[in-house]
Amino acid sequence: MMDFSEIVTLIVRSVETGSIYALVGLAMGIIYKASEVPNFAQGEMATFSTFIAFMVLTVHGAPFYVAFVVSLLFAYILGIAFEFLCVRRAKNPTILSMIILTIGLQMVLYGLSGWVFGTEQRAFRLPFSQFETVEIGGVVISHLGLATIIASFVLMCLIYWFLEHTKTGLAMRASQQNSMAARINGISSNRVVNLSFGISSIVGAIAAMLFAPIITLSPDLMWDPLLKGFAAAVLGGFASLPGIVFGGYILALIENLFGLWFSLEYKSVVAMGIIVLVLYIKPSGLFSKHYQRKV
Amino acid sequence: MSNNPFFTVDKISKSFGGLQALKELSFHVNKGEIYSVIGPNGAGKSTLFNCINGIYKPDTGSVKIQGQEITGLRPDQVAAHKISRTFQNIELFSNMTTMDNILLGRHMHMKTGVFSASAMLWKNSFSAKDETEHRRKVDEIIDFLDLQASRNKLVSQLPYGIQKIAELGRALATEPELLLLDEPAAGLTNEEREDLIFWIRDIRDELGITIILIEHNIQMVSEISDRIIAINFGKKLVEGTVQEVTNNPDVVRAYLGAD
Amino acid sequence: MDMKRHHYEDVQFLHGWANKFWFAVFVVLVIAAPYMFPAQLFLISLIGVNIIIALGLNILTGNTGQISLGHAGFVAIGAYTTVVLMQSWMIPFPAALIAGGILAMLFGVILALPALRLEGPYLAIATLAFGIAIKIILGNIPGLGGHNGISVIGMDLGFTMITSEVGIYYVIAGIALVMGIAARNIVKSRVGRAFQAIRDSDIAASAAGINLAGYKTMSFMISAFYAGIAGGLWAVLLGYINPNMFEFVVSIEYFAMVVVGGLGFVAGSVMGAAAVTYLRVNSDNLNSVPVIGWLLDLMSIDLTVQTGVTWVITGIVLILVVVLEPLGLYGIWLRIKIYWRTWPF
Repeated sequence: MMDFSEIVTLIVRSVETGSIYALVGLAMGIIYKASEVPNFAQGEMATFSTFIAFMVLTVHGAPFYVAFVVSLLFAYILGIAFEFLCVRRAKNPTILSMIILTIGLQMVLYGLSGWVFGTEQRAFRLPFSQFETVEIGGVVISHLGLATIIASFVLMCLIYWFLEHTKTGLAMRASQQNSMAARINGISSNRVVNLSFGISSIVGAIAAMLFAPIITLSPDLMWDPLLKGFAAAVLGGFASLPGIVFGGYILALIENLFGLWFSLEYKSVVAMGIIVLVLYIKPSGLFSKHYQRKV
Repeated sequence: MSNNPFFTVDKISKSFGGLQALKELSFHVNKGEIYSVIGPNGAGKSTLFNCINGIYKPDTGSVKIQGQEITGLRPDQVAAHKISRTFQNIELFSNMTTMDNILLGRHMHMKTGVFSASAMLWKNSFSAKDETEHRRKVDEIIDFLDLQASRNKLVSQLPYGIQKIAELGRALATEPELLLLDEPAAGLTNEEREDLIFWIRDIRDELGITIILIEHNIQMVSEISDRIIAINFGKKLVEGTVQEVTNNPDVVRAYLGAD
Repeated sequence: MDMKRHHYEDVQFLHGWANKFWFAVFVVLVIAAPYMFPAQLFLISLIGVNIIIALGLNILTGNTGQISLGHAGFVAIGAYTTVVLMQSWMIPFPAALIAGGILAMLFGVILALPALRLEGPYLAIATLAFGIAIKIILGNIPGLGGHNGISVIGMDLGFTMITSEVGIYYVIAGIALVMGIAARNIVKSRVGRAFQAIRDSDIAASAAGINLAGYKTMSFMISAFYAGIAGGLWAVLLGYINPNMFEFVVSIEYFAMVVVGGLGFVAGSVMGAAAVTYLRVNSDNLNSVPVIGWLLDLMSIDLTVQTGVTWVITGIVLILVVVLEPLGLYGIWLRIKIYWRTWPF
């Protein structure tokens, strides 16, 4: 069996990877709550934004914070532009056409990042090292891991604060709960959806920039995190943002436990299997109510 | 035989979270009757239909047709007991033609499966004969309901009133013995409503189908119903003939909202 | 409206002389293709394989309204089963191929079980997970060649071997033709109507007597069977299989074929599979592709050896389908037909 410090280490590692899953899941959840669009392009939007940061860093030799801001700005514009130019103009806005639309954007951005930036693996570095470690209460953690955990936590708090305590956040929640009533009160649901695409894109981009140093930067950077983030969102129930965060951590924990006890090869398979099983029992995820259409 | 009414609803209750939509509601319908359910918005009328038809499972109570228990069955199993229905907000198959919509009502009577369907290659193949035979039956319904002009049009392109009639056609195509009509006249013009009253009578008189009708239009209800039940807050207010129900002070109060 | 209706005409395959004529032309083209385009034989065969997959996926997604982003998983099951049965068990190709289709179909039932209760994004992730899981599992089963896969030579019919490219092409074309006609007939008759009813309003469909669970499962089974058969054919066409052929982007590509061609239309599956496959195979030489190459020349863009561009083009087409023409290529073709019929008015 494991001793106490091993358990703590396992939990910390899970929080580390779980943070990335949670952020990607949150990014998808923000859009889904506002517009019921499951955004399959989330990963590629984030990857493309990270490439922008990479270009600013390496080609223009700018300091990190400049690249970071430029990248987030780009992510925001990409998000709102996609909503304004495509999502809003769908002829027949069913869930199926929304999935088609976001898969379309996914393909465009995936192809474009290979075309413009090349398909080779690139090293993307943050100011926090993956190899230098600190020890906190017996648990060894890399600077990058610590930064990831802290940054995600801060970001989650920011999102919470934004939704609960700002006027725009309130408008977003009102529109999500009852778009007709919100519209009567002067809140344009179009604007809310547009904003949600922008914010979501920023959240995704931050997740990608925290993840890129762990592996390398290439057009398929976010495939795995997207899938896991999506799975986390589904596990927690798309409609509940705290549920999504929880889903992200749980998913990472399950993966790590399985990787530790059985085999690393199958850890993704098991995570997916568990999600399918959870969905079978609770079709709308763990933390949200199943919705039945009224007739 | 006479102790055994054609259709009975016995003390069914249904609640959603804290909201009790139906409270021990009981009634029975005789064969060949036109029985109307009236009540204000939110009284539980559509919930009643959904419980009969199997979209919801009632929490308690039982529903029987011809002595057979159908409580808690799936909608398709209920349909197999010869119960058919229309919906308050039209539920047609919007990307299919009127013909195909009504033909879908023939589903239970057709026999083509995947393999025989794949082999629909000549006029006397099993599936081709199945198709032509039932298409002929659908055309009888189309003629009966005067839908000839809409036969090959997509239902989503038809006017609202015609859509309602097409939905009625689909319900008839299943050859039901009990037909549940959920606000069939809502949104129709006066002229269309007159036609509808005529058809509902015909359906009962010529086809011998028993009808339960949810309707807001008291004038129409009075005109065609044999008996009426008025419900409010999921409970029976009063049940009886048109006269008895429309003159009942509780009903008047529930409708006029006075206290 | 004529009084005497011949109801068979409504559902008849190739009703009227015009349809019969164009179908005959099509069949002659299919037969003559190896001699007309000998250099493109592999491409045409691959289009045939992908048409079979698209036909099945379109029944599931276009007709029944159930999203599958894991179809490569079914293709993989069909491919591996066919190859293993032929190589290790010495079972003749036709039996091995059908066994592959049937095993894929059984997996279709397994995937349908959770899918019965899921909608929209939840179904998308469940099917996506399925496709990825199959790929990983196949790569790790001992005896299946790991990541290097297995090689396969020709179609062993028991009494003779088909190894020539032309022979393999004719087998694929024949099966695709039969399965295309079967798909068309399924869609036009009782079963297909039940699928479409579920897509348009599941509540009304079940109220009319359709067993939702049964028909959704059936749709998954048919779709998986098509994919499984196509998998076996693909394996023989390529001469090898390995897990990387069934990457999840391949599933997305299948999905794209159906959308580009036209959801819910058999002709759409054919057009979509042909267009997307053609583009993919010519992805490093886009300037020689008709229409697109001409447009590129017009803008004097040279895209020779620029991988990734096909993704951009396919993606743009998907977005355009949603924004402009929900019926895809088939819808465009319908418009042209209506335009010519009413021409010159």
